[in-house]
Amino acid sequence: MELFSDQFNGYLWQMAQGAYVTLQLFAAGFSLALVIGVLVGIITLSKNIVIQAFWKVYSSIIMGVPSLLIIFLLYYGGSAMLSGIFGTDRSFDVTPFGAGVAALTIVYACYIAELVHGAVMNLPKGQFEACSALAIRPIAAWRHVILPQLTRLALPGLINIWMIVLKDTPLVSLAGLNDLVANAKIAAGATKEPFIFFIAASLFFIAFSALTLRLSARLETRFNRGIAEVKA
Amino acid sequence: MSALQTSDLTAVAAPRPVAVQMTKVDKYYGKFKALSGIDLTVRKGEKIVICGPSGSGKSTLIRTINRLEPHDGGTIVVNGITLDGSPTSVQDVRLECGMVFQQFNLFPHLTILENCMLAPRLTRKLSKEQAEAVATKYLERVHIGAQAHKFPSQLSGGQQQRVAIARALCMEPPIMLFDEPTSALDPEMIKEVLQVMEDLAEDGMTMICVTHEMGFARRVANRVVFMDQGEIVEEAGTDAFFETPKSDRLKNFLAQILH
Repeated sequence: MELFSDQFNGYLWQMAQGAYVTLQLFAAGFSLALVIGVLVGIITLSKNIVIQAFWKVYSSIIMGVPSLLIIFLLYYGGSAMLSGIFGTDRSFDVTPFGAGVAALTIVYACYIAELVHGAVMNLPKGQFEACSALAIRPIAAWRHVILPQLTRLALPGLINIWMIVLKDTPLVSLAGLNDLVANAKIAAGATKEPFIFFIAASLFFIAFSALTLRLSARLETRFNRGIAEVKA
Repeated sequence: MSALQTSDLTAVAAPRPVAVQMTKVDKYYGKFKALSGIDLTVRKGEKIVICGPSGSGKSTLIRTINRLEPHDGGTIVVNGITLDGSPTSVQDVRLECGMVFQQFNLFPHLTILENCMLAPRLTRKLSKEQAEAVATKYLERVHIGAQAHKFPSQLSGGQQQRVAIARALCMEPPIMLFDEPTSALDPEMIKEVLQVMEDLAEDGMTMICVTHEMGFARRVANRVVFMDQGEIVEEAGTDAFFETPKSDRLKNFLAQILH
């Protein structure tokens, strides 16, 4: 197949649109997972037995099942679940994109919550005590003292999860989402040129990872304010 | 002269209002009794030093006063507020007590100035300018104003502890609690921290210090409390405490630490 023929450009354009879908899926999934994961992480720090028991069972189920199965469950079973919750008189359309966002959110919120737990454990207890002794109320203490330090402790793990979420997005193509990888597969099949299109798709992921590393280096410098100078 | 001072002190000390009143305070860690039947009265303006071997419960005692550790029995009243565990009582008591920790516990992501401004802004609702003025005032007082824009990790241990004292003072508490403030410091930095504490004592602050610095106790304390195995074994005026200890446990302890 000739490079940059009309047909080739057409497929490339289709892949670009797929890349846009991939990015949307990633952005929605990761940001929802981040917000919900941090909240759930903080709530499940509670020593309440009921919360602890629920969290242990829930998180081991979610983290023990392949993401693909959760995507399938939500895509093929989603409308039945929603009807069950909101009443059978209404019908719900579950799109592959919606199921994908929901699945990525559910799965990675769990991992982020566990990350928050680990970071809190690593924070010296004295930080909480200093806040208490200064009569700083818990919500203000979390906002001004604990969370900024957790961000620093959790950042390397968050960057990891960020990359894994991105690389999990193609799974949603198996529920019929026309993302980058799905469109690359169509193009490769139609033109019998697997290398060109799959390598193009790979390059997209590599470029995005490179950007991520840039961003994470920036963030690390920012959150290490005051820490970087620590004498060994 | 010294006789006059002593009688002067007793005359003034007796009618002074009570700052901290602990009555029959018990504290358990699981089945381990960390404090048993603690009775302690601290009057306004008094300087109390608590000493004792490690594990004797002195840190636990001082931490029950601002409820970093809840007590399990007895009553604690701080400036008229009974610590009954309700959020309001805890908050009110914490506004009355400043605390300095062994490990400083400065906020590493904030500058020295921001460390001192945070609590007054959040808790006393001061404006940025007011909080900065208060913070600058107390940082000057602990002789560290020049370092205000550095981060804690850029300061020596002694400097960090002085910042921690300033940070507690910024809330303008009537009572200061010191939990082994010099135990984590290199020997050459202990003096600068003790000097700041002595200045504070001279200004009439009510102080309760857990410390092993017996020289400091002799110079500053009105009374010294000796604890062992979760109980107050002996409590006496500073001179009597060091010159005429009554119990054998205290005699042994003093023999070990005064060399």
